[in-house]
Amino acid sequence: MSNKIGFFVCHCGINISSTVDIKELMEYAKTLDGVVISKDYKYMCSDVGANLIKDSIKKHNLDSVVIACCSPRMHEHTFRGVVEAGGVNAFNLEIANIREQCSWAHENKNLATEKAKALVRGAVAKAKLLESLETSKIKVTPKALVIGGGIAGIQAALDIAEEGHKVYLVEKSPSIGGRMAQLDKTFPTLDCSSCILTPKMMEVANHPNIELLSYSEVIGIEGSIGNYNVKVKKKARFVDMDKCTGCGDCMVACRLKDRISSEFDEGIGKRSAIYMPFPQAVPLKCTIDAENCLLLTRGKCGTGPLCVEACDADAIDFKQKDEEVELNVGVIVVATGYDLLDPTSLHEYGYSRSDDVITTLEMERLISSSGPTTGEIIRPSNGEKPKSITYVLCVGSRDETECTWCCRIGCMSALKHVYLLKEKLGEDIEINICYTDIRSFGKGYEEFYRKIRGMKTNFFRGRPSEVRKSGDHLTIDIFDTTTNKLFEIKTDLVVLAPALVSRADATDFTRILRISQSIDGFFLEAHPKLRPIDTFTGGVFIAGCCQSPKDIQDSVAQASGAAARAANILSKKELEAEPLISYVDEDLCSGCSTCLSVCAYNAIELVKDGDKSQAKVNEALCMGCGLCVVTCPSGAMQQHGYKDKQLRPMIEETV
Amino acid sequence: MGIVDLTSMGESQVKLRNEINERLSRLQDEISDYCYQCAKCTSGCEAHKLLELEPHKIVALLKRGLIDEMINSDVIWTCMSCFKCRERCPQKVAPVEILFALKNMAVASGKQIPGNYTAMLQSVLSIGLIQDVKSITTRDNKTKSRSDLDLPEISKPTDSTKFQMILSKLAVEKV
Repeated sequence: MSNKIGFFVCHCGINISSTVDIKELMEYAKTLDGVVISKDYKYMCSDVGANLIKDSIKKHNLDSVVIACCSPRMHEHTFRGVVEAGGVNAFNLEIANIREQCSWAHENKNLATEKAKALVRGAVAKAKLLESLETSKIKVTPKALVIGGGIAGIQAALDIAEEGHKVYLVEKSPSIGGRMAQLDKTFPTLDCSSCILTPKMMEVANHPNIELLSYSEVIGIEGSIGNYNVKVKKKARFVDMDKCTGCGDCMVACRLKDRISSEFDEGIGKRSAIYMPFPQAVPLKCTIDAENCLLLTRGKCGTGPLCVEACDADAIDFKQKDEEVELNVGVIVVATGYDLLDPTSLHEYGYSRSDDVITTLEMERLISSSGPTTGEIIRPSNGEKPKSITYVLCVGSRDETECTWCCRIGCMSALKHVYLLKEKLGEDIEINICYTDIRSFGKGYEEFYRKIRGMKTNFFRGRPSEVRKSGDHLTIDIFDTTTNKLFEIKTDLVVLAPALVSRADATDFTRILRISQSIDGFFLEAHPKLRPIDTFTGGVFIAGCCQSPKDIQDSVAQASGAAARAANILSKKELEAEPLISYVDEDLCSGCSTCLSVCAYNAIELVKDGDKSQAKVNEALCMGCGLCVVTCPSGAMQQHGYKDKQLRPMIEETV
Repeated sequence: MGIVDLTSMGESQVKLRNEINERLSRLQDEISDYCYQCAKCTSGCEAHKLLELEPHKIVALLKRGLIDEMINSDVIWTCMSCFKCRERCPQKVAPVEILFALKNMAVASGKQIPGNYTAMLQSVLSIGLIQDVKSITTRDNKTKSRSDLDLPEISKPTDSTKFQMILSKLAVEKV
């Protein structure tokens, strides 16, 4: 019980003081039972304000503090530190939110002042009943899990590993490398994509602190910041990783050679049932595609599987089964990347009707010298060289019927393609770009855009309504707003720049990770400006396109940021546990287990004591969300700092 | 393959466009392709306020190669040659120079030029000026000549035959 409460009110510049009469509020607070001093300051969160609180605690021997200011989300943490430094337990602090919940929401000064008084009255009533709490410590498992082996995941894994911590890098597909491995060159510097990526992939493979789990999926996560228990499914490759030399003889021998659409080549190239996605794959090992392999699907492959015959290393093992492994880590970095919108949904552009309508990523595979045409640009319909190529930008992007957001890479990829195509097909090849706005915002991007404007490129400002087949060609009508004219473009090849969307399995994944999605489907950051890498789940960070579309530069920067945030935690031996957590009043708990069913953190278990069972809270796992407290039918579940007996007087005084 | 303006069925006149772009390069201005249609030129165009000239649209049509449409239009003759568009273009393109080129092309192809222009041309050929020096009337209704105002005399060609020869030579060689 507190008897000597100090009241402090902040003007917040004029944010509060213009709507709430500070003097009147101070005088009023003095009349409340238990309040011994009442003070104000222009910015209570400044050093001067903090010293005012600290000095007052000492001078008046305060045992509890009430601060009327902004939301506790803003400065509760700051003020806890201040009262602790003043000599009062950090949890003997109550904040009356008179900014977000009062001054910002109202205009009438008299009424706002009355509401502020009510909020302060309630806060003082609760402050009298506050109890000191001690923060317990959690040991940190000094290991990290990085999910996704694209450039963001690779960068995060390398950065954390360089800090000296063990990293598990889990990649769903047979090789790391992600989208960047599919690209030929990168904008705006035209670096060869694989030339700058493969050294990093090799570094991952050889780093003593990194354990790579390729062809594996995270299927379950338990625990909390500092101590996560992760279940990973290692899918059967049907190839012994220790024996396979990556020679590729099996791929050539396979009966289904050049019969299966290659995911890596975006369906433009074909592969075998046993395959390596690309020549620089890491790990450089073969994988059998269980969904297509004749032996695995039909139980019979001619007179016997040819891959087994071809493999000198005797590495093929059809008896392999999926394996489950458990990993213990302290932090998790999620870098699961993006999908391209399937342009079939915009049927007016004819993606599914004509082979000569392709996506920018498919064009990337055509341009790539390691691609299915070894870099030769052809019309997929007849294998001939195109004389005219037309790009349609913002396909499904900035579109209220598809994706409302900008893909952030479409413009620059198309401009990059112009450069590469002119290099391959000669400067006179006709290239048309239908754009809505050219967004060239990054370093060196605008200069690159200017360079492309000088390369005989036809820019049409407008969005075509449809792509039609006319004879051997494709026809596009486009109204160009720069000339106010309707043009007809006859062209050989149409390249669509589709929107970037969240991964198809993003929603399932948020359930496993207990993180949220924003309305666009991408993973939600804790604050769009100030915590763009954190999630609302402690110790889980997001990097790259799984958070929102971005280019390689931004993905790498965010990945390094995520690694730094992760290393922040890993470098500590112990973390302070959240003290405002739930506990069970054993006299009241009937063991009905309703609380278990609502807990999102698996923090409650039922403990048998003779023939009676009771709920028990695991303090390391409880995040203090309070869901169990409101669910408990008997009132046995209580939360420190928010006990019924503390909240009831507060409510009675306020209303 | 081909790009067609569906309203006029006009096709890109690549050769003429290249000619104009080459002229711009010779004058150390940037070629029209660099124009990104910010329309700063039209925002400050003196002729636009009175006569609806849109220099940025001229550049857009040039980029598309629709030259005939422009040389058949009277609007190219409304440019006052103040050069603000050239001074202020963020991409160093000079709409005013494009308009000069278009006017030259119009004359070369025997297009009728607006009457006032013919009168001015006649005046230049005969006295070397677009109009003869005139006196002015002040607010208190007095007539003053240049010498009354202590302004220097404006010189005129002394040998008008020679002057006309030089002019025709320039016109033939264009700029």
